[in-house]
Amino acid sequence: MLHNNLPEINSTNFGIINKLLTGFIKEEILRAGLNKVVLGLSGGVDSAVVSYLAASALGNKNVTAVLMPYKTSSPKSLEDGLKVVGALRIKHFVIDISRQIDDYFAKDAGGDSDGAGAGENGLKVRIGNKMARERMSILYDLSYKLGSLVLGTSNKSELLLGYGTIYGDMASAVNPIGDIYKTQIHQLAGFLNIPKLIVKKAPSADLWIDQTDEKELGFTYKEADNIMFLLVDKMYKPETVSSLGYDENLVSLIYGKIKRSQYKRRMPLIAKVSQRTINIDFRYLRDWA
Amino acid sequence: MKTHSIKLSIAQIKPEPSDLKHNLKQHLRYIKTAKKEGSGLVIFPELSLTGYFLKDSIYDVAINLKDESKNIIHDLLPESNNISVIAGFVEVDDDYNFYNSSLCMSGGRILNVHRKVYLPTYGMFEEMRYFKAGNGFNVFGISGITSAILTCEDAWHLSSSYIAVNKGAKLIIINSASPARGIESGSEKFSSIEMWERLLSVIAFYYKSYVIYANRVGFEDGIGFAGGSCIFSPDGNKEYHLEYLDEGLLSAKLNISLLKNERFKTPLLRDENLSLTVKELESIISTKN
Repeated sequence: MLHNNLPEINSTNFGIINKLLTGFIKEEILRAGLNKVVLGLSGGVDSAVVSYLAASALGNKNVTAVLMPYKTSSPKSLEDGLKVVGALRIKHFVIDISRQIDDYFAKDAGGDSDGAGAGENGLKVRIGNKMARERMSILYDLSYKLGSLVLGTSNKSELLLGYGTIYGDMASAVNPIGDIYKTQIHQLAGFLNIPKLIVKKAPSADLWIDQTDEKELGFTYKEADNIMFLLVDKMYKPETVSSLGYDENLVSLIYGKIKRSQYKRRMPLIAKVSQRTINIDFRYLRDWA
Repeated sequence: MKTHSIKLSIAQIKPEPSDLKHNLKQHLRYIKTAKKEGSGLVIFPELSLTGYFLKDSIYDVAINLKDESKNIIHDLLPESNNISVIAGFVEVDDDYNFYNSSLCMSGGRILNVHRKVYLPTYGMFEEMRYFKAGNGFNVFGISGITSAILTCEDAWHLSSSYIAVNKGAKLIIINSASPARGIESGSEKFSSIEMWERLLSVIAFYYKSYVIYANRVGFEDGIGFAGGSCIFSPDGNKEYHLEYLDEGLLSAKLNISLLKNERFKTPLLRDENLSLTVKELESIISTKN
């Protein structure tokens, strides 16, 4: 029989997965000539998982967490982030980003616009994106200051759905959880002894009040992850996936999201002019030297 | 009758992509240890001297064995005075074709070169983009024991080990660079490892040979190599093994005389009808054409 269900991370396979992920962090960071990492800690399960993996791979002294609340961020997020900091005894900074975000939007460059991003909802998304990029900008600044690489905290579900900000939360040097679905992140978290409250709370980007991923996406991660496992990992066509009992509209909605967000997962397109063009026919590992 | 045996070592190393000097040092270190442990043969993984996902740097790391200017093979050869060494490298021939090659050196000279025949070019693999395929499975004597080298994907084609054993191989040496991939709810191993171990067991049992599997570890651009190098006995059981994902050296003494017992009890090779196979293959080929 073919295995058509998203594989569960459980007590049987946790050992080898944990070994692979901590080995990955250690080796890919050391190869860059560094031994330290910095990451944004949101209070959610993804960045908690990455913190635990990083502390285990590199030692807690080599991990710096940055908590970057905005004025509308849930106080619970900061509180939960600090719980992770306390449990792992890692270095941390709390940097409130409200002022720079508000300053920027008070001047609102670009003036009145009738573009797609205009209006109330457009502004909400723009502020959310700006916050994600502000946090990225802080992490990369600290990366230089602390001689640390930025660890990514985007999971496979978000990356595939495009549910993240390009050059914002999606940006990092090295991402240990980008091939693990959200459903599996929760399972993994259970074995890393992450505080239950963090594992159990509703996933949220916390970019505006009462935002939750699943409310915004219109479906649950559990549904989406099973479908994405079949579409991506198993390479089944959407019609094959719906023939297995999944809602046709949902399958097509998710497939559409994956296709439309492909640009977020790739480097910018370069117009080919020469005989040998970066990433087209100039092909080397990032770990080249 | 004197027991016919061989003590051999598997060096489960972590090559650095394109860093020949670093990899040579690793080889020298492991050869020294294998000698200390009394081994007559030490086996390194596929492309052990160069790294695996080389892309365009294949062009830079390739070695022509006829080339008299100093290269790392010249540094390695004198080390094979009291021990046979199997190592992987990128070979270039006089016509500037590139091969995924494995050489066996002994007594300071090259005993055998195997050019990988089956070059995976699907999924994450792109070997045929760069390499020319080898054209056979040669057998040769190591300490008087007829042996064959199959490189990674070669072994996935059961015809390769079929050819090798029918040519008299008693040791089937499989060197590989197999990435860890696929998780399953009910398995403590990666799916790729499960498949490998099943295959090795089948080859050992049905071809009544010792199967020696030398896989690498380490990461290249986030892809982790699984390790788990091991030795399967002709009864189909895994007798010795190294850890998954960790570097290490395994030394074991194999009793080749045991094959007499195994091949007497289950004379599959004796009964193999090569003429029938040839006749059928010819008919398949003529039908396909």
